[in-house]
Amino acid sequence: MGCPRCSTPAVHPGRRLARIALLGNPNTGKTTLINALAGTRLQVGNWPGTTVEKLEARLGDLTLVDLPGTYSLFATTPEERLARDALLADPPDALLVVLDAGNLERNLPLALEATELGIPMAVVLNLFDEAREKGYDLDPARLEALLGVPVVATVASRGEGVDRLIEAVQTAPVPAPAVIYPPAIERALARVAGAIDAPAARAIAALLLAGEPVAAPETARKAAEAARKELAALGLDPFLEITGARYARARELFQQTLRGHNPRPTLTDRLDRFVLHPVLGPVLFLLGMLFVFRFTFLLSAPWVDFIGGVQEVLAGWTYGLGLPGLLASFLADGLVAGVGTVLAFAPVLFFLYLAMSFLEASGFLARSAFIADRLMHAAGLPGRAFIPLVLGFGCNVPAVYATRTLESFADRLRTALAIPFMACSARLPVFALFAAVFFRERAALVVFALYLLGLAVGLLTAWLLGRFGRLEPSTGVMELPPYRLPRARVLLLQAHARTMSFVKGATGPILLAMVLIWALLHLPPGPLEQSLYARVAGALAHLFAPLGLGDWRLVGALIPGFIAKEVVVGALGVSFLGAAPPDALGFLAGLGQLAAAFLAALQGTLAALLALFGLPSLPAAAGGPTALQAALRGAVTAKAALVYLVFVLLYTPCVATLFALRQELGRRWTTFSVGYQLTVAYLVALLAARILP
Amino acid sequence: MRRLDELTPGEEARVRAVETSGHVLRRLFALGLRPGARVRLLRRAPLGDPLEVRVGESFVALRQAEARGVVLEEG
Repeated sequence: MGCPRCSTPAVHPGRRLARIALLGNPNTGKTTLINALAGTRLQVGNWPGTTVEKLEARLGDLTLVDLPGTYSLFATTPEERLARDALLADPPDALLVVLDAGNLERNLPLALEATELGIPMAVVLNLFDEAREKGYDLDPARLEALLGVPVVATVASRGEGVDRLIEAVQTAPVPAPAVIYPPAIERALARVAGAIDAPAARAIAALLLAGEPVAAPETARKAAEAARKELAALGLDPFLEITGARYARARELFQQTLRGHNPRPTLTDRLDRFVLHPVLGPVLFLLGMLFVFRFTFLLSAPWVDFIGGVQEVLAGWTYGLGLPGLLASFLADGLVAGVGTVLAFAPVLFFLYLAMSFLEASGFLARSAFIADRLMHAAGLPGRAFIPLVLGFGCNVPAVYATRTLESFADRLRTALAIPFMACSARLPVFALFAAVFFRERAALVVFALYLLGLAVGLLTAWLLGRFGRLEPSTGVMELPPYRLPRARVLLLQAHARTMSFVKGATGPILLAMVLIWALLHLPPGPLEQSLYARVAGALAHLFAPLGLGDWRLVGALIPGFIAKEVVVGALGVSFLGAAPPDALGFLAGLGQLAAAFLAALQGTLAALLALFGLPSLPAAAGGPTALQAALRGAVTAKAALVYLVFVLLYTPCVATLFALRQELGRRWTTFSVGYQLTVAYLVALLAARILP
Repeated sequence: MRRLDELTPGEEARVRAVETSGHVLRRLFALGLRPGARVRLLRRAPLGDPLEVRVGESFVALRQAEARGVVLEEG
């Protein structure tokens, strides 16, 4: 069947097409489309060297690749640049340009731009049902005749029209360039394109002419630079001329494709009256945020506990093997504990990713950004930074990953560097330990003040970076996409792939940190006072003396705190009270414990599902002081305790957060952030030591 | 000269010029906010900023300061 009205003869079928790329604006249903095409063969990975998600599927000898959502090859976000570079540096064998049929006039310019890439292409009018509901009567055959490439109408969510796509793209011709520019621009394009030996010469020439930094031969760059000067002398801005011609052509094509239009209000119009209502909107927004927070942490908690249970059993078994003491300790407290630490993040990340992709694909994320923008703007951040910052109070690791929903690198950087100051739930046990002893009835107030201090330091960090970091300012410009129900299968697949990407990458670094800390604590064998740990802590104690923290046992506990903040409590226990004897575990007893832990996790999930819709409950008040608390009271003053908590609040949260920062921001910024956190923690703690009575 | 941030909710006008540059200009153009386009102010966010406008079938949010850069035709 192919394309009967196409001007260029279609290439014979049977031609081997290795790679087909899907190109389209954000929110055109590309992900749903590739899911409909690929079914269970859909795979989620990353673009090489980046954390940008790549959806891919193999269909026989074809590979389908989903490019990041793109408005134009004139890229404005890291994802758009990636899509452009993928198209230019390693062109696919054919293109499927996916357009939102219900917003055709705005989507068409990308298809017109794509005709200049010199790649066989077919056009998909997706969301054709939505277009009909909006009252559009479109004629795909007419558009096919006008563009000279196959045009297929689809409803990807129901699989309609999808079977025709593969055939259409396999027989698709290389389109003729669809836009004719004003003569001066055409002459300049011809000159620049003449110096480029690639099928995409016209597209690259247009980008160079508009001053875009794309890879091209030196001669082409020089020609473009000269042409830009000449055009400027004529008073012509190449970007405005080129896009203007494309928009004008898109409008013509749209009007010729349109048979009729009866505008009708859509679900989005009706819903937004509530969701963005001046009074109702903020209430729904806060409830929504609370729900996401509780969904992530309530549902993951039973599984984090389960992983803790498994870790305990494995450690018990290791001690039960009768190995030499040091070896058993290395295996149980070093390796098993390290792997357990990494895996404990997996449930949290999985549920967070589920929540975030649902919010993003459904259209709610953009609305929440719209409502929160004014608040965040004060700190120089966009509205989208609100969710990652709030998540930081639960756990910094998923919060750092949630910055991916921000559009520019500058915004991601500002937000991700602020997140480590948010008091995550792992810091609470340390706060609680000290607050209960030293501040008694004012304990809750002190903990609350610490949370506020963390938030203030974080927001100030973002503001300072924006003010003095020579970064591009944040913008409030964004599309509020129509409300849609995302595919559960795609959400689960994405959440799983993203979680595994963390587990695979983070295991090495976290295990290494864990083994280092183990070696500090256990070498040379003997009492803790003679270990490397005590010596390092002793040296650090000098450094912390100006803060009033001269006790090596107190300062030392900050070192294992790099693994995770709650470890500080255990380390203090070992230093002040001595190590508890390890619990050896028989094989059967261990199996029993595993089964019990699994059942408890299932029960916990059920309870969490019910609690999700109930009111938040406050944690039960703790009983009398523990042995550790009694020991601390004898060793530390209330003022020193508060200074200590300020330092714990502000210094590097954990290795896992550092790993997340490295994945998102790169090594350089991560190193900077560690130095920054330690400096800020020390200075603020010093300030606290000076001003507190 | 009227600017986009001076419209009242529900009011519609045609864009004459977009006086911004760089990424913001490119993004506004890509979303359909460009000279000649008809734009309608839908609402302001609950805290007064940003604004939501409708251009064709697109819903676009932009800050008050960014909306000031969008010049409208008279009448």
